[in-house]
Amino acid sequence: MNSKLRAVRFALMKLFYYPLRKDSVPNFTIQVLFMRIKLVLYAFAAIGLLLSVSAFGQSMAITNARIVTVSGVAIEKGTVVIRDGLIEAVGANAKVPADAFTIDGTGLMIYPGFIDSLTNLGLAARPAAAPGQGGPGGGQAAAAAVAQANPSNSNYPAGFRPEYTVSDELRAGETQFDSVRNAGFATVLTTGRERIFTGQSALINLAGENVSDMTVRSPVALHISFGTIPGTYPGSLLGTFSALRQMFNDAKRHDEMLKMYAKDPRGMRRPAADKSLEAIIPAVNRQMTVIFSANNENEIRRALDLAKEYNLNAMIAGGHGATQFISRLKEQNVPVLFSLNFPKRTAAVSPDADPESMETLRFRAEVPKIAGKLAAAGVKFAFQSGGAATNNDFLANSVKATENGLSKDAAVRAMTLSSAEIFGVADRLGSVEVGKIANLTLVKGDLFSKDKSISHVFIDGKMFEIKAPPTPPSRPAGGQGTGGGANPSALPIVGGTYSITIQAPGQPLTGTLNLTQQGSELTGTMVTELGTTTIKDGRVTATGISFAGSVNFGGQAIDFTVMATVTGSTLSGTVDSPQGAIPITGTKNP
Amino acid sequence: MKRIIFSLIAAIACCTFVFGQNSGEVVIKNATVLTAARGTLTETDISIRNGKIARIGKNLPVGAGAKVIDATGKFVTPGIIDAHSHSMLSAINEGSLAVTSMTDVKDMLDPKDIAIKRALAGGVTSALLLHGSANPIGGQSATIKFKYGRPAEDFLIADAPPGIKFALGENVKRSSQVITQPGQSFRYPRTRMGTMEVIRDAFRRARDYKQAWDDFRAKKTKVPPRVDEELQPLVEILEGKRIVHCHGYRSDEHLNIVKIADEFGFTIGTLQHALEAYKIAPEVAKHGAGVSIFVDSWSYKLEAYDNTPYNAYILWKNGVVVSINSDSDERMRRLNLDAAKTMKFGGVPEEEALKMITLNPAKHLGIDKRTGSIEQGKDADIVIWTEHPFSPYSRPDITMIEGEIFFDRAQDILFRQQLAKEREELEKLEMNKAPGSGGTPPARPAERRVEDRDEHELDGIGGNR
Repeated sequence: MNSKLRAVRFALMKLFYYPLRKDSVPNFTIQVLFMRIKLVLYAFAAIGLLLSVSAFGQSMAITNARIVTVSGVAIEKGTVVIRDGLIEAVGANAKVPADAFTIDGTGLMIYPGFIDSLTNLGLAARPAAAPGQGGPGGGQAAAAAVAQANPSNSNYPAGFRPEYTVSDELRAGETQFDSVRNAGFATVLTTGRERIFTGQSALINLAGENVSDMTVRSPVALHISFGTIPGTYPGSLLGTFSALRQMFNDAKRHDEMLKMYAKDPRGMRRPAADKSLEAIIPAVNRQMTVIFSANNENEIRRALDLAKEYNLNAMIAGGHGATQFISRLKEQNVPVLFSLNFPKRTAAVSPDADPESMETLRFRAEVPKIAGKLAAAGVKFAFQSGGAATNNDFLANSVKATENGLSKDAAVRAMTLSSAEIFGVADRLGSVEVGKIANLTLVKGDLFSKDKSISHVFIDGKMFEIKAPPTPPSRPAGGQGTGGGANPSALPIVGGTYSITIQAPGQPLTGTLNLTQQGSELTGTMVTELGTTTIKDGRVTATGISFAGSVNFGGQAIDFTVMATVTGSTLSGTVDSPQGAIPITGTKNP
Repeated sequence: MKRIIFSLIAAIACCTFVFGQNSGEVVIKNATVLTAARGTLTETDISIRNGKIARIGKNLPVGAGAKVIDATGKFVTPGIIDAHSHSMLSAINEGSLAVTSMTDVKDMLDPKDIAIKRALAGGVTSALLLHGSANPIGGQSATIKFKYGRPAEDFLIADAPPGIKFALGENVKRSSQVITQPGQSFRYPRTRMGTMEVIRDAFRRARDYKQAWDDFRAKKTKVPPRVDEELQPLVEILEGKRIVHCHGYRSDEHLNIVKIADEFGFTIGTLQHALEAYKIAPEVAKHGAGVSIFVDSWSYKLEAYDNTPYNAYILWKNGVVVSINSDSDERMRRLNLDAAKTMKFGGVPEEEALKMITLNPAKHLGIDKRTGSIEQGKDADIVIWTEHPFSPYSRPDITMIEGEIFFDRAQDILFRQQLAKEREELEKLEMNKAPGSGGTPPARPAERRVEDRDEHELDGIGGNR
C-alpha cells in the first residue's frame, strides 16, 4: 500500500513541479513534446491510482470524543485523526483535514484498541477423526492428526518441538475474528494448545486479508505448557520437567558446538542439524522470551524454578495462584499474562455431594483480587481471556478486578499499553499517540459500567462499525471451528446433562456428560471416576456429536475421542483411546 | 465488619501455623520420653533452643519467655519417619521408559496436599517421597519434613543425601502392557530377566559416560560430552553419593539386585517392601542394605504371597536395619501401631520396635545425624502422645518439627470452628454460589484423589506397592 501511495506522490510531483523548474526548462523540441505526453500519461495514472487507494489515502477523524490516551492524560473532548493506517493527530484542538471522513464522537470514549494477551485465535481446527473410524485406529488417527498439524522432521515427538511457529499455521482472513473484534479487541497474541511446546506465538491484528498484513510481530515468545505426550516420553508431568531440562542442557551445548565447529571443523564431528535445538538456543540465551502456562500455585512455582535454573527471560500466563509468589515474580522480573477467566461455581448443589473444599472456596474468592495485588507490588501484567467462554467475560471480569483493588486506569492499561510493553511493541501499539498504529476501540458509555457498548473498532486504520450492541458473542472455542460449520437449523439439539456408562472391560465407568451446544459447537465436561475432563473440539453433526478429551490415569494422560449418535434423549457411540475402542451409552437427564 | 471478622479469622489461622516459630526456648515438662536411642526416661524435661534439642533431664530450668508444654502423664517420641511415601506429589510414575532416572519427584511437590496435615496428626514428621515402581530404574526421590503451611522448598531436608527409586517384579512387567499406543510394541522389559538386563545395561552406559567426562576433564578429548540427565544420577550411585531404594517382593530378585550392586561396586541403600527378605536375611546383612517393609499385607498380590508378620523380627535378629513404611497416605497415620505389631509377632523389644519407625528409617534416608531419636543436639522433631504410642488408644497431641509446632490437637479443634465460620462467609460470595440447576460438577476434592491413587497402585497401572 505504501508503495502505491509513493507512486501517486511521485506522479503528482512530476505533473505539477517539473514544468515549474524554469532553469531547467529545455527548448521546445520533439523531446519535450514526448515528455509532455508522458506527463499527461502520468497524470492519468495518478488519478487512477488515487481512486483505487481513496479509502486508504483519505483520512478519518473522530471528533468530540473523550480520548483515553493511556500513555498520557485523558482528553475530555478531542479529535483523533487517522491516515494511512496510523494515528496522524490527537488532541483537543487537532485539526480535521479537509478530506477527512468524520465521525461525530459525542458520547464516545476512544481507547487504544484492546489487546488480548493470550489466545488461540486464527489457528486452523485440528482435523477431527472421520466418522465410522472405530477401533484402535482411532487413537492412532488422533496422534497422526497432531503430527499432521505439526509436521516436522524433528527428532522429538509432536508437541515437543520448539521450532513450531504458529504464524506458519495462521489462517488468513478477518471474518473469522468478527465476534472477538465486535467485543472491542484489535490485537491478540496467539499460540497453539497442544502438549508442551505449544508454539512460538504471533501478535496479530484482527484485520487484514493475509497473514503478513495481520502480523504485528512474530515470533513473540516460545510458549511452554506443562502438558504431557501420551504414549511416549514424556508421558507424565515428571517426565515433562526432566525432558525440558535435558532439552535446555542440549540446546546450550548445541550452541557451543556450533560455535566450535564454525571456528574450526577439522577433527570434530559435525554437530547434528537439529532444528528443535536450534529453535531453543535463543531462549536459553535470553534472546527470546519463554512464556509458561502456569495458573495454579504449583505450576507457577515450577515455572519460576525452571526460569531461575536456566536463567530464562520468562513470563507466566494464567496466574490465578500468584498471590503467594508476588515477591518472587517481582524479584525475578517475570511479567504475568493474567487470565480473566475467573473461576466460579458452575454446578447446582447435589444432595449427596461433598461440600467443596476450603481451598476451592478461598481460591475463587482470591482470584479477582490478584490483579490489584500485582499492580500494588509493581509486577508487570496484562490481561488475557484465558479461554473464557464468551468475550463478555473479559470486560466483566476486568470490572471485577477494579472492584477488588485494581484502579480503572490500571485495568485499561492491562488491556492496552502494558500488553504492548510486555510484547516489545509499545513504540507502535497500545496507546492513542501520534505515529502509532491506528488501533482504536470506541465505546459508548463508561467502559466499566453495565450499559456500555462497543461502537467502532479501528484496526490499522480500517474502520469496523459495530451495528448492534453485541449479545454475548461466543468466542470461537479455542480458535477453532469458525470455518463454515453445518447449518445450525439442521442440527439436533443435544445440550443438557447425560448419565453415561463407558463399558471399560472389567470395570464399567459411570458418570455424567454436561453438554452446552452453540450452533454446531459443543462445549462442556465429562465427569467420571477418573475425574472431570473439559471436552475439546466438540462438534454437533446432523446425527450426533463428537469431541475429544484427556484423562489422567495412573499418572499418565490418556487422550480419547468420542463419537456418538444422539436419538431423542439417548446417546450411543464409542470412546477411542490408545487402549482401544470402548462403547459409551447415555441417557439425557430430564 | 465482615471484613474485620475475616481478617481476624485469617490472623488466627496464621497463628496456628507460626505458633512457636520464634527461635526461643521451648520446654516440654515432666514427660515419659521414649528416646529411640537411650531407653525410656520418666518424669523428664526436654529443652529446645533454635529448633534443636538443647538438654534432656529432670527439672530443667525454664528461661524467661520460654514456652512451657506440660506433658505430665504423656509420652514423648521422636517424630515418625516414613521411608516410603508418595504423598504430596502431583505425579508419581513416568512409565513410558524403562529407565527414568532423569525424572525427579522434587519437581512434583504439592505443599498443600491435605495428606500432609493428616500425616502430622499421626505423628509423622519426615518422609522419603519416591517415584513409582513402573520402571527398573525410576526417578530421583525427595527427603522431606512435613512443614505444612510453608512453601514447597522449605520441605526439603537440605543436607539429606539424594536418593533414587529402583523397582523389580510385577509392577515393572505389568507397566509394559498398559501404556502403549496401538501399533507400538510393548515396553521392554516384560520379564524379570529383562529387568535385570535393563539395570545392568544402564550402569554400563553410566560407566562409559563417566569415562567420557573423565577423559574430557583430563583433556584427552576436545569436545565436552553431553550433560545427560539420565546417566548423571547413575554415576552418583556408582560414586556412592546417591542412595538406591529398590522396590521388590521376591527374595530371588533382591539377591539379583544385590549381585548387580556388588558387580558395579556400590551398596543398595534399602530393599523396599521386601516381604520375603527374611529368607535372605544373612545375605542382606552381609551386603549392608537396609530393609523397609510393610509389617503385614501378606498375599495381597502373587509376589507378596510368602510374607510373614515375623519378617521384621527375623531381619532384626540377623542384624539388618529394618524400618516399617506405609506407601499410603492412609496407613502413614498409624505407623505407631504397625511398629507395635513387631512386638507381638516375634517379640522385638520395645525400643527396637520404636526405632523401626524413627531412627532406622532416618538411617535409611541418611538423616540419622540430625533426626530420628531424642538426643541432645538433634533436630527437635518430637511427638507428644496422649498415651503410650503403641496403645491403640493413643494419639498425638502435639507434633513439632525443629521445635515448631505443626500440629496441635487443641488448637486444631478451635481452628475447625473458625474454619466453619470462614466457610459460611465464603459460601455467601457470588463466585461460590451454585446456580439453580445444571452446570458442571466441581472437580473431586483432593482428599478423594488419594484414595484413587492407592486404587491405581493396586491396578498395576504404573503401580507403586
